[in-house]
Amino acid sequence: MSSSFTVLPGEQVPAQHVNLKLGPGLFQIQSSKQSETSIISTRAGTVNHSANNSKWWVESNSRRYVPAPQESVVGAVVGRSGEGWRVDIGSAHFALLDGLAFEGATKRNKPNLKIGALIYARVSLAHKDMEPELECFDAQTRKAAEFGELKGGFMVRCSLRMCRQLLDPKHFLLPFIGSRFPLEVAVGTNGRVWISSKEVKHTIAIARCIEAVDPDGGGLDESGIKTFFNTLDL
Amino acid sequence: LRELSIGYEGLDRVDGSARFGFGWSFTGSAAALSSISGPIEVRLAAENPSQATFEVLLRPLSNVPGTESKALASTIRNLLTPSIILTQNPRTLVQLVVQALIPAEKFYSPLVASIINASTLALMNAGSIPMRGIVCAVSVGRFRSNIMPTSSLILDPSDDELSSLQGIGCFAFLFGTGQTGGSEVVWSNWQSSISFSEEELIKARDLARGGAEKVWIGMKQSVGRVG
Repeated sequence: MSSSFTVLPGEQVPAQHVNLKLGPGLFQIQSSKQSETSIISTRAGTVNHSANNSKWWVESNSRRYVPAPQESVVGAVVGRSGEGWRVDIGSAHFALLDGLAFEGATKRNKPNLKIGALIYARVSLAHKDMEPELECFDAQTRKAAEFGELKGGFMVRCSLRMCRQLLDPKHFLLPFIGSRFPLEVAVGTNGRVWISSKEVKHTIAIARCIEAVDPDGGGLDESGIKTFFNTLDL
Repeated sequence: LRELSIGYEGLDRVDGSARFGFGWSFTGSAAALSSISGPIEVRLAAENPSQATFEVLLRPLSNVPGTESKALASTIRNLLTPSIILTQNPRTLVQLVVQALIPAEKFYSPLVASIINASTLALMNAGSIPMRGIVCAVSVGRFRSNIMPTSSLILDPSDDELSSLQGIGCFAFLFGTGQTGGSEVVWSNWQSSISFSEEELIKARDLARGGAEKVWIGMKQSVGRVG
């Protein structure tokens, strides 16, 4: 990744490439002069681009999730809707999860999700005019992979950038906690993280560590989290 | 232009919040606190199938919001709407709640400018609402002068200077590419106790444009600090 710079919404971004791909936070507008178009940023954040300048995006933090396809999310079932369920994924509208959207599901063999159950699913349809739809299997292989119901555990809310950091394999937090005690984590890109461990105080410790490292409230780095962890009564 | 105080509050249960004040501390200067939630679920009556609904609620520091609050809220809604891309999230609600932080019987120009700037900062802080530009506002006052035939204009009058002004107004500018010159006026109000000419208004507007550019730079620096 090359150098990045801060932009405010409405600022022009010098993104030029033959096969230009605009990521989140960038928008192409018609210039009022000739019929040329320019790329402007729609968020306040840092502009990053890939090494060959073909992919550009704006990195910023937010708390409200706007659904995008092929993202893995943690959702809570809030009701039944016909053949399937309505799931709260933190977006403006509830998402629909069809009863047959599971591996090996038939009309007679559907999973039994109760209201309040947590699921880990993939957003299969996220159009701005329609309600988002979820599926509980992998797109290419059509196998369950890690999707499905999350039994037990505890759901923690955090900012969206924290979730993206937790999904990064090079981030320090989860390996650090994993070296102290065993835990299971499911990170959704919608600002929700499901954690599960054998003891309650471990679960509380993980929740507090996530809150402490969250860029919104604390933003501790690796050495900070080590001192913070030692103050917890474990 | 007084030193700007910008803070991102991190209020609970909302998606973005910010505080803005003219003056080095938030108390004693024209300051406002604003919060944004969106895109969130909207009441069926207010739902728009092609774009998001933008709602502004304005609260003075004391008393319930009255007629003037509602009128100013409607004005702020009209001047902020061009800066938000509402078509990307149809059938949702973007709700802005602004709280004035200084006791004032009426909303005077520096406070209105703070309210507009705080709203813009909250929208940027939320991050989930796409914007096509930034609205910055400053107030300009006109000094009483008995000696010279032409009176002098002052940018961002402080509270002590307010009593010696003959006229005061607030100018809001939209900074975004696509417009020539970098910024255009989206709203202005100018009240004066004596008559004024059009060229004086143009001078006031140009003075305000320079001040708004400084506000824009201050906002950009605050994003660099936080982000």
